[in-house]
Amino acid sequence: MMKQMRIKPRFSPAHWLAAMLLAVVAALVVTPYLLMLLSSFRTTAEMMRNPGVVLPIEWTLSGYIKVFQRAPILRWFLNSLTITGSVTLAVLFTSTITGFVFAKYRFPFKEALFMLLLATMMIPSQVTLIPSFLIVNALGLYNRLWALIVPGLVSVFGIFLARQFISEVPDSLCEAALIDGCSSPGLYFRVILPQIRPAISALAIFTFLGTWNDYLGPLIMLSEVERMTLPLALTFFNTNHHMDLGATMSAATLVMLPVIVVFLLFQKQFIKGVSITGMK
Amino acid sequence: MKNNRFVAAVLVPVFLLMLAFLFLPLLLGLGISFFDYNPLRSANTFIGLDNYLKLARDPVFLKVLTNTLWFVFVTVALNIVFTLLLSLLVSSLPSNKLRSFFRMLFFLPCIAPMVGSTAVWGSRIFHLRTGVLNNLITSLGGKPVNFLGDAQVVMWALILFTLWVDFGYNTVLFSAGLDAIPVTFQDAAKIDGANARQRFFHITLPLLERTFVFVLIMTLISHFQMFVQFQTLANRGGPNYASTVLTLYVYNLGFINKDMGYASTIALVLFAIIMVVTLVQRRFMKTDWEY
Repeated sequence: MMKQMRIKPRFSPAHWLAAMLLAVVAALVVTPYLLMLLSSFRTTAEMMRNPGVVLPIEWTLSGYIKVFQRAPILRWFLNSLTITGSVTLAVLFTSTITGFVFAKYRFPFKEALFMLLLATMMIPSQVTLIPSFLIVNALGLYNRLWALIVPGLVSVFGIFLARQFISEVPDSLCEAALIDGCSSPGLYFRVILPQIRPAISALAIFTFLGTWNDYLGPLIMLSEVERMTLPLALTFFNTNHHMDLGATMSAATLVMLPVIVVFLLFQKQFIKGVSITGMK
Repeated sequence: MKNNRFVAAVLVPVFLLMLAFLFLPLLLGLGISFFDYNPLRSANTFIGLDNYLKLARDPVFLKVLTNTLWFVFVTVALNIVFTLLLSLLVSSLPSNKLRSFFRMLFFLPCIAPMVGSTAVWGSRIFHLRTGVLNNLITSLGGKPVNFLGDAQVVMWALILFTLWVDFGYNTVLFSAGLDAIPVTFQDAAKIDGANARQRFFHITLPLLERTFVFVLIMTLISHFQMFVQFQTLANRGGPNYASTVLTLYVYNLGFINKDMGYASTIALVLFAIIMVVTLVQRRFMKTDWEY
């Protein structure tokens, strides 16, 4: 009997060179984070005394203690969580159900409405910054978490992505469900959603990180310290304690940590999502 | 399928939200640009095209526009060349695990909150005293460089930071594009005696065209919109506007100076630039073919 031969990839000298070059780049990527982490365990005075030293001479938690004592960091964390959680759940729902409608239903002005949708993808949020602020202000939402939740409920990109994936669900499947007495919402929940899991997870991760990391939105919509989100609060903390390098680095580490954990947990879906959608 | 009641129940709220937070802001922005608009005043005067005429006479606007174009083109050019080479290196590795390891690692700065990265770069890398770059320079006997305070240097520091923070995306996108090219093409060319350089320029690059145009346009658009590093890493666009770009100028004029009319005019200039880039993409992306 012939045994199936597997060609085992071998590392040639050229491969070693490529891997080494990539390792250098990887080191450059990690270095700032390592510096941040190491600095977060040092006092500012010690760093100032030994500017050329990278490793802590005396390890200390004083930076972290200061962050928790002087700043409402748990409040900031909860603010970020509230906004990001609400926006992510809402975007998943509105994107998939609107994508479903555009992918599977015939209705008047469908093409025109979809073109309108596509056209809005070209409008960057930086351009509508001032009017959005004025509208949020007029609605009485300024300096409230709602100011960041309400405008984020719908994502044009999300609708577009969901429509793309739902188009690929066979029409025969939907028709069979309708014949069996399934309603339109039933079709959406029981047939469509289970079929587009990869799109949903990609959209969830992108929306989560995009909202969590958003800086410009909170910068213009929130002014009170107690209402701030983590990224905005970090800059606020940094400008108020910029003489206290150790505490700032501790705060930066705390802000980075949840994101890096989420990323490491979902990195496979993430990288796949980027290559499927090309989204940033 | 037809079910107009269901369709309406879904689309009406969705389009109302879009109306309030996408279409209306765009129209409102256009409207405000014809006013001398300060949100703290109760009455704002209509001044016609004055804000637009002001553009031509505003030396700061000219400087900011030049800064933006310079930043975008230099950063994007370096980014594309660097990420293309890097993704070739990643794709050349014969181990799947190693490939995904590097992709994952390179992606880290893209997903970490940028304000955290700017805090580290500002205080531990570019800083005059506590920055490792200056420690390195002084230990080699050089004079410390004020990376973020010197008008001649600050833009280069921001370009370096931006390259570092953003190269992961394009590396992943390019390497997905490379992986999609069937191996048979490379093999056929190898048998025909094409060397690595010939294979790159005559097979890989042409087949990568669609990915390349997509990546180029998306990168251009995203770089025109960058804001965080200019506000937080550079000291609010300084010194003397040396690191102010259009987005930051809009923010500073609108929210610090409360001159929202003129700020809206500048926002529309940014919108026009991004529109042009998007329309160029539409033209290029018409090429439809498969392997």
